[in-house]
Amino acid sequence: MNAVVMNHLSKKYSGGKAAIADMSLTLEPGEVFGFLGPNGAGKTTTVKVLNGMLQPTGGECLIFGENPSNRPEKVHAISGVMTEHAQMYNHLTGLENLIFYGAVFGIGEEESRKRAQELLWQLELSDAWEQKLSAYSTGMRQRLSIARALMHRPKILFLDEPTSGLDPESAHNVNQMIRNLAKDKGMTIFLCTHQLRYAQEICTRYGLIDEGRLLVEGTLEQLRAGMGSGMKLRIRTDRLPDSIAGYTDADKNEKNRGEASGSRERQGAYDIELAIKSEEEIPRIVSRIVQGGGNIYHVSAKRPSLEDIYFSLTAERR
Amino acid sequence: MNRAISAIVKKDMREITANRQLLFTIVIVPVVLTLVVPSVFLLTAHFAPEDANDLQELMKLMPGNVQNIGMEELMVGLLFDNILPLFFLIIPIMAASVMAASSFVGEREQSTLETLLYSPLTVKQLFYAKVLAAFLMSMLVSWISFLVMLLGVGLESYVLTGAVLHPGISWLPVMLLLSPAVSLIAITLIVRGSAKAQNVMEAQQKAAFLVLPVVLLLAGQFVGLMLINAWMLVGLSVVLGLLAWFLLRSSLGKFCGEMLLSGR
Repeated sequence: MNAVVMNHLSKKYSGGKAAIADMSLTLEPGEVFGFLGPNGAGKTTTVKVLNGMLQPTGGECLIFGENPSNRPEKVHAISGVMTEHAQMYNHLTGLENLIFYGAVFGIGEEESRKRAQELLWQLELSDAWEQKLSAYSTGMRQRLSIARALMHRPKILFLDEPTSGLDPESAHNVNQMIRNLAKDKGMTIFLCTHQLRYAQEICTRYGLIDEGRLLVEGTLEQLRAGMGSGMKLRIRTDRLPDSIAGYTDADKNEKNRGEASGSRERQGAYDIELAIKSEEEIPRIVSRIVQGGGNIYHVSAKRPSLEDIYFSLTAERR
Repeated sequence: MNRAISAIVKKDMREITANRQLLFTIVIVPVVLTLVVPSVFLLTAHFAPEDANDLQELMKLMPGNVQNIGMEELMVGLLFDNILPLFFLIIPIMAASVMAASSFVGEREQSTLETLLYSPLTVKQLFYAKVLAAFLMSMLVSWISFLVMLLGVGLESYVLTGAVLHPGISWLPVMLLLSPAVSLIAITLIVRGSAKAQNVMEAQQKAAFLVLPVVLLLAGQFVGLMLINAWMLVGLSVVLGLLAWFLLRSSLGKFCGEMLLSGR
């Protein structure tokens, strides 16, 4: 059974703005799906529709076979949701909050306490469990929300910007935890984020959305393939044969160019970035420079990161 | 799901008791109505001259059998069996109105409503839990106030007149039927208002200026029946109880998560 199925899902608000437009997507159990897009792209609305908090205006969706529009409570029993607007009670301590939500999910007090303490320890909140939530920092609240979403051991976890407001160390920790939940427990993760670097660390598949539309979806390799290879070769040299300058539009990328020479070969200091199709091209380019009398000080090849793909796709749309 | 509902009820009650300001608002009305007002009344009755013309006139209006007892004893009886029960329509509603008014909109304002809606409870169960929490609170305050009043008025009456207080039979339908029924009607209406309100202040204003006066005005009409017959009171309480039940049933199906989150 698929973990998530979206079939031409749409959500229009009463003002006429389409927050989700004809979105179709399927997630397998155990996937860590990165749902990426700028602010207002429709990520949170999608999470709310998938959990029955909002009714879709078109299409349908299923979470492990349950339709959240008809039986939201059935979906909630198997899903954990962490969003910015799902907060906890300031007058209760961290531990009391978790025990309360445990009880709301029908878990007995002893079992809730056990699970809560385990989660607080994993999320490095064990020193603060007796503090009232009002004394928690943003980062601590964020981590407690993750603990809350995990109390009933859901099959699928919806996380909306889980690492925003966290210091790099905590963010790394949370990422590690999410990765382990998917790897060891087979939990499906639906992760909405802007933080593409963190997303690239843990997601197995991505969907990029803008203005409610799913622009592309696939693994990082599939996304890279979708934009050519996208591979960039960086070379620092003191002489650039014309064949290379012509081979690429190197002039555009050069930095610190020395004195222009009248000869066909350009001399000076070049730091250039070339777009190449495959790694096979690297030795050919290097040998041409060397044969042309150039000294090479640096060669590196870089595959496009998720961030590169994201920016190139969103730039295309603007 | 009983565990979930009882967790919400406990949490809501704790929220009130942990907040001194709210607790004060809840306690002050019963204290004034069950201790201060009766004390003033009893002291006035005790020290007022027995031959006051107005009181003699009032005595003449009373049924024959009560004309033989002392004026002061009569006054205590009048206070205890005919005036104080009316307060037990006001006390539970006042005690629960703060809690009921903030039930949904309060959760929305502190961004905890969405978290509750992500639970495996249906919106109906959530509504029921909210009404139940306020209802139990109202009954708790009401019964504690009753005991405090019984002790306070009983003691004062004994000290001042030497007479032992015997609560009339009409107290039974008032405390067990009329007061819970009226309370449930008011709480259901206030919780409904809270679900639709944009902020806590709006919900409280609706409760204080719309729901409470209307409910009390209606219920107040039936108190005169206490003078006639306790069975009549039982009958009317049952009618009000049924009305409360239908109101609650119809309210349960009225909301969905999206409406609760937006307050529309």
